[in-house]
Amino acid sequence: MSGTTPTDLDGELLDDFYAECDELCGQIRVLLTGLADAPAGADAGVEALYRAFHSFKGICGIVGLAVAERLAHAAEDLLRHLNSTRSAPLPAAIELLSHVLHRLEQIVAAHRLGQALPVIDDLLAPLATYRTTGPAPGRAGDSHAALAAPLAEGGAWRAHFTPTPELDARGVNIGSIRQRLSALGVIEKAEPRVHPGGGISFEFILRIPAAPPAEAELEALLADGLRLAPEPTPAAAPAPAAVPVVPAAAALSIAPSHIIRVDMSRLDDLMRITGELVIHRSRLEERIARLAGAHGEIGEVGLALSRSLRDLRAAVTRVRMVPVAEIFTRMPYAVRELAQDQGKQVRLALHGQETEIDKYLVERLKEPLLHLVRNAVSHGLETPAERAAAGKPEQATLTLRATGTGHSLVLEIEDDGRGVDPARIFARAKALGIPLPAEPGEAGLLSLLCRPGFSTREEADLASGRGVGMAAVHATLRELGGVLTLHSEVGRFTRFTLRLPLTLSIIDTFIVAVGAQTCAIPRALIEEIVQFEENEVRPVKQTEVIPYRDGVLPIYRLDRFLGAPAEVRARVPALVVASERGLAGLVVDRVIAHREVVVRPMGDPLLRVPGIAGATELGDGRPVLILDPSALTCGAARPHERSHAPDSAQP
Amino acid sequence: MNASAPYVIFELAGSLYGIHSRDVQHVDMLEHVTPVPNTAPSLEGVVFSRGHVIPALNLRVRFGLPRAAHDARTRLIFLNAHDRVVALIVDSAREFRAIAQEAIKPIEQTLHGIRGNYVKGVVTVLDRLVLLIDVAAVLAPEELELPPGAEPAPAAPTP
Repeated sequence: MSGTTPTDLDGELLDDFYAECDELCGQIRVLLTGLADAPAGADAGVEALYRAFHSFKGICGIVGLAVAERLAHAAEDLLRHLNSTRSAPLPAAIELLSHVLHRLEQIVAAHRLGQALPVIDDLLAPLATYRTTGPAPGRAGDSHAALAAPLAEGGAWRAHFTPTPELDARGVNIGSIRQRLSALGVIEKAEPRVHPGGGISFEFILRIPAAPPAEAELEALLADGLRLAPEPTPAAAPAPAAVPVVPAAAALSIAPSHIIRVDMSRLDDLMRITGELVIHRSRLEERIARLAGAHGEIGEVGLALSRSLRDLRAAVTRVRMVPVAEIFTRMPYAVRELAQDQGKQVRLALHGQETEIDKYLVERLKEPLLHLVRNAVSHGLETPAERAAAGKPEQATLTLRATGTGHSLVLEIEDDGRGVDPARIFARAKALGIPLPAEPGEAGLLSLLCRPGFSTREEADLASGRGVGMAAVHATLRELGGVLTLHSEVGRFTRFTLRLPLTLSIIDTFIVAVGAQTCAIPRALIEEIVQFEENEVRPVKQTEVIPYRDGVLPIYRLDRFLGAPAEVRARVPALVVASERGLAGLVVDRVIAHREVVVRPMGDPLLRVPGIAGATELGDGRPVLILDPSALTCGAARPHERSHAPDSAQP
Repeated sequence: MNASAPYVIFELAGSLYGIHSRDVQHVDMLEHVTPVPNTAPSLEGVVFSRGHVIPALNLRVRFGLPRAAHDARTRLIFLNAHDRVVALIVDSAREFRAIAQEAIKPIEQTLHGIRGNYVKGVVTVLDRLVLLIDVAAVLAPEELELPPGAEPAPAAPTP
């Protein structure tokens, strides 16, 4: 087992990889700066950084850039450590991570140029040390004492302010900060910064007279979330003070006055048209590629068009994105009401409300999520008396967490209740005459819970025990191309995890070849691509496994599903799928490209086949099947049953 | 009672068939069919039409006739009926023809034995027998759920 070497991969795939590296590095840089500037919102920042490094690791794994993968992994470990210990990322950690970022960029650049890759050992050591022993002591953050002396010298200073609801509640907002800053010096520039995550902050350039500052005011400003740093370049040296200043009122009014409400159907239209453009682009690219002078001017125009189209698609997608808060806000009411009815004490914790998701998905997810939340309160959580008897706090905690990973959205519903007891579930299944599931462990429990008609409550209650609930949740998720997983420990917790593509109509896919067939596999559920050799394959019961990481990976051969004989090759690629049963490898002949495609649903009853999510076209007008990797590897899909090749040569 | 309606006349294994034109969206050349695994034997695959993924049924297989190589005359007849669009692969499409209601004879009187209830009537046009297709029966999915290998006997008119 080893990673794919660059030469095996299609150029287009690599180009996408480099582009994505750029994007992630940019994201990481912004996040690091954000953390350095505002330790107040550190939790979310650490989490986002963790995700970014995780994604970086993932894409490096896909192209087999092992050095970068290892370094990103070490950074990820550090961040996980910071996250789990809730320790604020100290400047030393941020500095270390900045070095990591820089080195990652160097590695990717060297890879791109085909040069020797930089070593990483000098960074791995401090990353590991930091995790075990914490930072070297002695570095202080901003303190008014540390700032007072340099401030006294005057000059240009940069100030950051990030408004928060808490600050606003104290009357600290951009207006008041502005006023107080102008008491310190002349505001030469004031700029709102909109962050990718949707937040906003403000940046000021101040010219401060050389005079000792009012220390009390300085301290108060810092306490109110303001960050000050010397501005190195006297860019706007003798600036005419009045010109570039954005009036505070204008900066403040950004939110309300620039937002318009748009009918969803208009956005659907826009998305549909963009989808058509993506298809025309593919067609055009194919035609251009066939022209003799493909490298000439027309090729460049084609490339420019592709780039603009990608931007357009991203922009249209962004317009459709809304914060998950739209679903979450419904929950506190439902929880409170249900908890009161059942005499339970429940604290609802919401995390990641700002995570964005396609509006369409929000609409479709409201019911399933509500059901899972009700289920948790009704079945998962104990009464205060039961909890006290079990040595738990009387007030139970129900946590809703949303995180985005760039290609997919993860929603978690976790309660610290009694957990899912396999014995109870199996007994119930026996009573209902339902055969026990083939899958072991939690996956098997989940498949029982999701069976139509299965409910552990003897009497269906109005709130959650209708017996169609979990089955409906599961079906909706499947339909949306998502995956539902269950983690639970008896007496401690139950966690349902929903993993979904961020948007539906246009998705990122890997285009793969299996025999003579070309298929598209949605990227959202693919962890990485590995290569193995046939002699590494070991049969285990009904399946086959290959060595993977520290253990083994069950594989599923796509040629058997498609009934298309595979090519005989020494090294075979497998796409590692995060499915409901855990990781599994989807074996293909070749990975041709990484493409965004327009999903065309296959709604006709003749075409409802488990394992196939829809179809698309790559520019030649031929349908290409979009597979559902999770259904395929979960055993929901049957192997191919008959020789399908039409016994006719097609013209 | 001399009401007549236009029918699309097509050929399949040497016989003529007709479909009420009200159920036909359009007729197209056959270019490429993408096979779909784990579907009914007569489902040859999917094609694109106007941005939609359409199932393409091989009518020969559906009727229990031997498969034949596709050629330049092979046509896709896109049915639009019962809120669905399904394409039928036929040997060739011949013409539109108005058929008078009273000329249609019920199937029982002339022949039986064709598998299923796909033919709802028969009419003689220019001295040739044209079998009129029951579109609802052709589109019905449950008819397709035959166990693999259970190939029906070829349709043969019995006396």
